[in-house]
Amino acid sequence: MSEIFYVPQTNEVELFEAAAAMHLPILLKGPTGCGKTRFIEFMGEKLSRKVYTVICHDDLSAADLIGRHLIDESGTYWQDGPLTKAVREGAICYLDEIIEARKDTTVVLHSLADYRRILPIDRTGELISAHPDFMLVVSYNPGYQNILKGMKPSTKQRFISLDFNYPTPEIEEQIVITESGIESERAKKLVSIATEIRQLSDTDIQEAVSTRLLVYAAKLMLKGFNPYEACVHTIVQSLSDEQDVIEVLETLISLHFLKR
Amino acid sequence: MEEFIGKVWAKFVTKKTSKVYESERVYFTDIRKSLKIFHRLMGGEKAKDLQVTDKRALNTSRTFLQKISFLGKEFYLPWQDEKALYLPASIALFAHKEENKMLYFWLVAMATKVKVTSSNLVEQNTEATHYLVDRYSGFKIFYEQMSALLFSKSLQDKDVLSSQPFGMWIYPALNSKNKANDTSEEEELQKEQAKEKTDTLEMKKQSRQIDDKKETDGFLSFLPESLMNIMEQVNVDRSEDDRFDENALYHAEDLDEITLGQKSANLASRIKMDLDLQPDMSEIYPLGKGHFLDEWDYRTLSYLKNYVCIKPQITLHVIPTPLPKKLKKMISKIQGALDLLVLERVKNDALPYGDEINMDTWIDYCGHQNKSTHHQKFYESYEKQTRDIATLILADVSLSTEAAITQDIRVIDVIKEGLMVICESLQKLKDDFAIYTFSSYKNTKVYFHIVKNFKEPYTDLIRGRIDIIKPGYYTRLGAAVREGANILDKQKNAKKLLLIISDGKPNDLDRYDGRYGIEDTKKAIQEVRKKGITPFCITVDVQAKEYLSYLFGKNGYVVLKDSKKLPKVLPEIYLNLTT
Repeated sequence: MSEIFYVPQTNEVELFEAAAAMHLPILLKGPTGCGKTRFIEFMGEKLSRKVYTVICHDDLSAADLIGRHLIDESGTYWQDGPLTKAVREGAICYLDEIIEARKDTTVVLHSLADYRRILPIDRTGELISAHPDFMLVVSYNPGYQNILKGMKPSTKQRFISLDFNYPTPEIEEQIVITESGIESERAKKLVSIATEIRQLSDTDIQEAVSTRLLVYAAKLMLKGFNPYEACVHTIVQSLSDEQDVIEVLETLISLHFLKR
Repeated sequence: MEEFIGKVWAKFVTKKTSKVYESERVYFTDIRKSLKIFHRLMGGEKAKDLQVTDKRALNTSRTFLQKISFLGKEFYLPWQDEKALYLPASIALFAHKEENKMLYFWLVAMATKVKVTSSNLVEQNTEATHYLVDRYSGFKIFYEQMSALLFSKSLQDKDVLSSQPFGMWIYPALNSKNKANDTSEEEELQKEQAKEKTDTLEMKKQSRQIDDKKETDGFLSFLPESLMNIMEQVNVDRSEDDRFDENALYHAEDLDEITLGQKSANLASRIKMDLDLQPDMSEIYPLGKGHFLDEWDYRTLSYLKNYVCIKPQITLHVIPTPLPKKLKKMISKIQGALDLLVLERVKNDALPYGDEINMDTWIDYCGHQNKSTHHQKFYESYEKQTRDIATLILADVSLSTEAAITQDIRVIDVIKEGLMVICESLQKLKDDFAIYTFSSYKNTKVYFHIVKNFKEPYTDLIRGRIDIIKPGYYTRLGAAVREGANILDKQKNAKKLLLIISDGKPNDLDRYDGRYGIEDTKKAIQEVRKKGITPFCITVDVQAKEYLSYLFGKNGYVVLKDSKKLPKVLPEIYLNLTT
């Protein structure tokens, strides 16, 4: 029985299982806070494989993934990086926000992501064939990817892509209830606030409200904050810095949750 | 005297009949932006505009006082059609600002839920009201309070509800059936009022513009010392300022030096203009007789030596213009993307010397079996990417740019907006750039118009020059490209970009049309490339694809349907050039 709470949106669980069986790497696309990371954790548990998560940033070097020499009292020794560990042990290696990583870093994935499934380590001269259970998963957020940090097509074309989006209102309500423990009425309101905000095009706000923020808002409410305040601090202020937009969002929230 | 009494009387009866709270009045224009966002938030169509409605007549029974004061016959009703949602210019129905404002939000929310015609007015509005009240507890309370208040107010007037339109509903569009009820007389009245309305609105706009100008365009915006500088350097015969200089045959690149001279002429007339002259007073001033360039004839596969005459010119008496407000948002968006470009740092490791020791290389070295064969580059350093780009923007202002894209937007307007956006970005990037526009009239007159040369700073004056760009004659693109390349060639930057903004094929009155024009332009582009300059074309001609890929290569151009796409296109162009 699964410990991690996850509600499938469409067929992503089946697709993931199929990809795992065929040793194919997976690419997750989707906006912030729609459940990509949660999904991987859930699948890791379901397939009983360990998950190594690496959050990519623009200074992430290949050595951070593969491993490096370290020093102790007896001299230098080799330390496996998360990717190498996953390759050896047959775990899932999850590279979050891969677009943030430098392009030369992601190239080390190429030989792992196609039929070869090997990882060459040039510093030790090793050539590791991946464990049959090893699985490579990367994610990125097409919403705020900018022109400078597109994904290399040659990298992109090695993956099975799963497109994530915000869950449907019914599912989202269920998620908010389970995650925070809030009652259905307020959860429903939170979800309808979110649905409305998501209608705003990206001209007004950069990215729409995430399910995660809704859970935060619900948790604040349960802590005893009045619902209006809770929403302003979680949803409104996190979404925009522009005074006009903030005012409108506040009005919207005051329509759902009275100010006092 | 009669008039005065009439006014007082009108005031008196109007006051008597209308119950409003003047001090709590909320104006549409003040919250329009918020309402627009709210409209989208509620799922309203994104392209729909929000506008002020006119007074509309409704056949209702009125009290005696209302009748004699002409009140109650026309109301500011909220309504919508395909294009826009029309709301009252101001609301002062309630005793608190908050509530008046809330009514606006209510109306916008209603408008996104209803589709009224005169036949289903009541059903639609009731339905939408129920929906809003059920869904939003905020609206529920507002609705209960307000409808109670509205009812009571109507009752106070010893009137029934039906006599007054219910202020919380959306009404059908003007041109739908309910108009049939109105007499033709009233229709005329309506039209007249509509006319009046637009008149006053325009007036408002104009006076505002003037205000703007005053802010930036005062005498004091000129430092006295800079004025002195100009005076010292220039030997201009003032009495002959308007005379065309017959002798001086300037080359376009030399113009950099004499621009200051032109500015002083500007200044003299500008002071005058601030006092009384209209902006139309700007005049085009030729700079010298012109000079000659070659042209390629594809039939003989040879150059026609000194065949084209380039005539540089500049516009005088330009009013400096600040950045239009509507562009500001777009520009702030672009700046987000450009900031990333500016701040990009590159890490170099495995250097023989540098800022910091790279631990990884060092440890690798220590762990290496045979140290003597391992390299000893242990350092790393961060380098700021420097950009050394000169950009020359060449805008096509031929007669065809006069063509309309939509009812109010001409091609030339798109080009102007594009220029402003590009300039703003280049300014932000601190890149060197110049702007020229061109149009031609046969090979003897290719007007090459200076908007900004490489040495001038980008100021409101330049924006003013962009603002007054007018469509000229034809498009002898090859000649303009060559001239632009010659100027760019004199720049000492590492990278050079020739950005061409065009609206169509190269063509001119003589044989410069069809294949001849395209072949000449193609040749000119090749010459540009040979000089180490990257040409790039932005066009608004949707059918341009065929010949543009021939001229500029597959990745050398972009077709743009509206200037709104510029934010996306610009960083791409720059990325292409910097990497």
